[in-house]
Amino acid sequence: MPFKKDFSPYVPRPATLKEKKKLSELVTLFTFELDNGKALAHRPGQFIQLSIFGVGEAPFSVSSPPDPSKQTFELAVRKIGAVTQSLHAMAPGQKVAIRGPYGTSFPVLDFVGKDTLFVAGGLGYIPLRSLLHYQLRHRSEFGRIIVLVGCRNPQERIFTDQIEELTARKDVEVLETVDIPDAAWKGNVGVITTLFPKIPIDPTNTSVAMVGPPIMYRFVLAECRKLGINPNNIFVSLERKMKCGVGKCGHCMINDLNTCMDGPVFRYTDIEAYQEAI
Amino acid sequence: MDAYIVHLERLPALFNAWAKDSALSVPSATPEGFYEFIPWNGEAEIAWDYDLIYNPPKRFVMPAKETLISFDLKDLQAKPVFEAPAQIVFGMHPYDVKAISQLDQLMELGIPDQNYLKRREATVIMALTPQSVAETAFWASVGAEEVQHGFDLYWTKIGPASFLVEVGSKKGEELLHAAAPPTRATVSEKEAARRAKIKVNQFARRKQLLYNWEETPRLLAKNWDSPLWRKNSETCLACGSCNLVCPTCYCFDLVDEVDDKLETGTRSRSWDGCMLTSFALVAGDHNFRPKALDRYRHRYFRKGKYIYDKIGELGCVGCGRCVRACTANIANPLAVFNALWEESTHAF
Amino acid sequence: MAKKPKVAFFDFASCEGDQLQIANLEERLLDILEHLDVVSFREVSSRRGEDYDIAFVEGSITRLQDEDRLRGIRAQAKILVALGACACIGGINCLKNFLAENVYREEVYGQYARWYGTYAARPLSAVVKVDAEIHGCPIDPNDFARQVKELLLGKAPSNPDYPVCVDCKKAGNICRYDLGRPCLGIITRAGCGAVCVTQGAHCWGCRGLSPHANLDAARLVMDRAGFGRKEAQNLLRFFLGHTAATL
Repeated sequence: MPFKKDFSPYVPRPATLKEKKKLSELVTLFTFELDNGKALAHRPGQFIQLSIFGVGEAPFSVSSPPDPSKQTFELAVRKIGAVTQSLHAMAPGQKVAIRGPYGTSFPVLDFVGKDTLFVAGGLGYIPLRSLLHYQLRHRSEFGRIIVLVGCRNPQERIFTDQIEELTARKDVEVLETVDIPDAAWKGNVGVITTLFPKIPIDPTNTSVAMVGPPIMYRFVLAECRKLGINPNNIFVSLERKMKCGVGKCGHCMINDLNTCMDGPVFRYTDIEAYQEAI
Repeated sequence: MDAYIVHLERLPALFNAWAKDSALSVPSATPEGFYEFIPWNGEAEIAWDYDLIYNPPKRFVMPAKETLISFDLKDLQAKPVFEAPAQIVFGMHPYDVKAISQLDQLMELGIPDQNYLKRREATVIMALTPQSVAETAFWASVGAEEVQHGFDLYWTKIGPASFLVEVGSKKGEELLHAAAPPTRATVSEKEAARRAKIKVNQFARRKQLLYNWEETPRLLAKNWDSPLWRKNSETCLACGSCNLVCPTCYCFDLVDEVDDKLETGTRSRSWDGCMLTSFALVAGDHNFRPKALDRYRHRYFRKGKYIYDKIGELGCVGCGRCVRACTANIANPLAVFNALWEESTHAF
Repeated sequence: MAKKPKVAFFDFASCEGDQLQIANLEERLLDILEHLDVVSFREVSSRRGEDYDIAFVEGSITRLQDEDRLRGIRAQAKILVALGACACIGGINCLKNFLAENVYREEVYGQYARWYGTYAARPLSAVVKVDAEIHGCPIDPNDFARQVKELLLGKAPSNPDYPVCVDCKKAGNICRYDLGRPCLGIITRAGCGAVCVTQGAHCWGCRGLSPHANLDAARLVMDRAGFGRKEAQNLLRFFLGHTAATL
């Protein structure tokens, strides 16, 4: 057994908040560093459990790409529950406690040499950003990088600076849409699937990575099917109530899968038959 | 397997010897006419012929609330907390032993849960062949009437005042020698025990699945859309009683508590239940099992299919506790599985 | 919270039993009060202040003039916490709601009835926004301590949203229905540790309806268990007069 007898998977380790950057009214980007001086050593798509002692613990996708040269990692967090309220009230220098990284990741090698279609609905951009920035750092290994970003309204857009930078790049194709525009919005209006006809996609050589609100998957998968993309090359990251993170507590189950261990990133064909998945 | 004979009059001496180093629990009748494991106090009357222990014995290995870590609010340091008091549970029926063996497997699987495993390691389980069967029980039809492992000693009453005791572990055998050495069982005594088991198991089969229990996963697989889930769950109180009294349910919640000075605290796990409305609710108010139907079906799939797919046995040991605990009368695995069987076409 | 929040206690139609429960924390109260600046708390101090951040309000609203006073408290307090069954759910004061107004007025005030304005009892939330609820009749002092600590840690205080059965099973009690007795635990919000059942009684519903309570199922259960409509209704009216349970 590789685990020591006094090993407890429930013990988090302290980390310090280094930086805070507001991304939208409710979403802020937090940069953390583990106090033990080690890198988080996560893979794109994995999540961590963040504790604010006394308030509780909640799961968050890591938004920064794996980077051996950096000891920091980033979480983009929407102020929505008890833990996130407290997190948003924190100032750099204050500490939290971290467990993880946990779960499966986007299989980076499956994307090598192929075009990648990112489909990011709302906060789905946060976990996808880890894979996207990883690919950008190793740009030559990958084919076209197509990024579809959808938001409910322009105010809820996040990482707008970075998305603008990406849009300016020649080697990345970015398309944005909002469901409900405001007076200043000049871009596409409509749900994220309305972006599909606007960009040529080579179904024989494209891998898809999609993350978004629960309602999104069904519709985007239908578009992928229409295009003829091999469902084996579609990867989704699913949100569930990850509580223990180690496959015990039962909260995150999708049928008999533990999202915290078997997910959150799934190859679509692996979960196609699961009634509770999509 | 080694077996010994122990006479009734020797038990108090044995119990008193065991109770010196361990918390010993024995089955006993409650004033209301039910049965519970109670601490051995030197003279408790043992309910040899109890039909069912009212509350599931999982609390011995996974208490309703259990501290996992302690933490410091200032420096954010956290330490694991392990509690593993030496304890002996005497007189557990085989289906309950099987339930604990199942927890053993599931808590060891993947990333082992040392809080559970340490507590389990400090726990001695002495099985007892049932002499009565609860009205709601159906353990003999789900393969839980006998156990091959998971016990340290296995007691079977073979005469008015004598027991055959099978040895399941070295620890168990040592405990049996804690007082005057027991005598080895003869072949005919072993036969008597075998007959006692057959007799009660036959009686227990009066409540039966209409099919071989091993078909349950397949039966469920083709009944995801059965109207039964909706019909039954309409009267679900979402009270979690079926989960909480289930000897194999182990889902838990994590809760922080801090001291009154706001300096230190603990994180504990406490029993949870997939039948509770918010069990699969995430921040932002999205509930992945919003309807009673979703939760009700999940529970039966968990018991009848998901656990089986993992470890090859049903997640239901047929104790019948949920049948009794459900005031709405909808939690009855035997009735649910049989109804599905009757409604299904059996072309597999 | 960097500065000690100022807290004040108020009461409306109630027995002040919940404030007494807080006083019953005794030594523990001293530790908790280290983090608070109590400007008004009749049960433990004679100090009276009108400047406060957190208002703990006990009692239900039974008169028009109560409403103005409560709105005043709401306007001053950053956080308004309802304390006890009367404040959270209307509680037993709502028993009078099942009588005609002239009947309960005369019952209480006799020949002077027409001098006093009193109307159907209601919880605080019927008049103002309530930020947190400490349930129970009386409240559990530990629950008060827990919620105050949560407030101090910047967490919105929360209550269980499942029925008392959960607490009761964790406590290892024998179900009242197994004893042929009625019990409202099947629809009542948990958080009390099933203290009444543990002590041999049954659940009266003092913590209000569990948010997802299945009332139809509960009526069926009580009916099947042999408790007639009248008996069930009397039990439901005891604490749940201001809910749909009694309809």
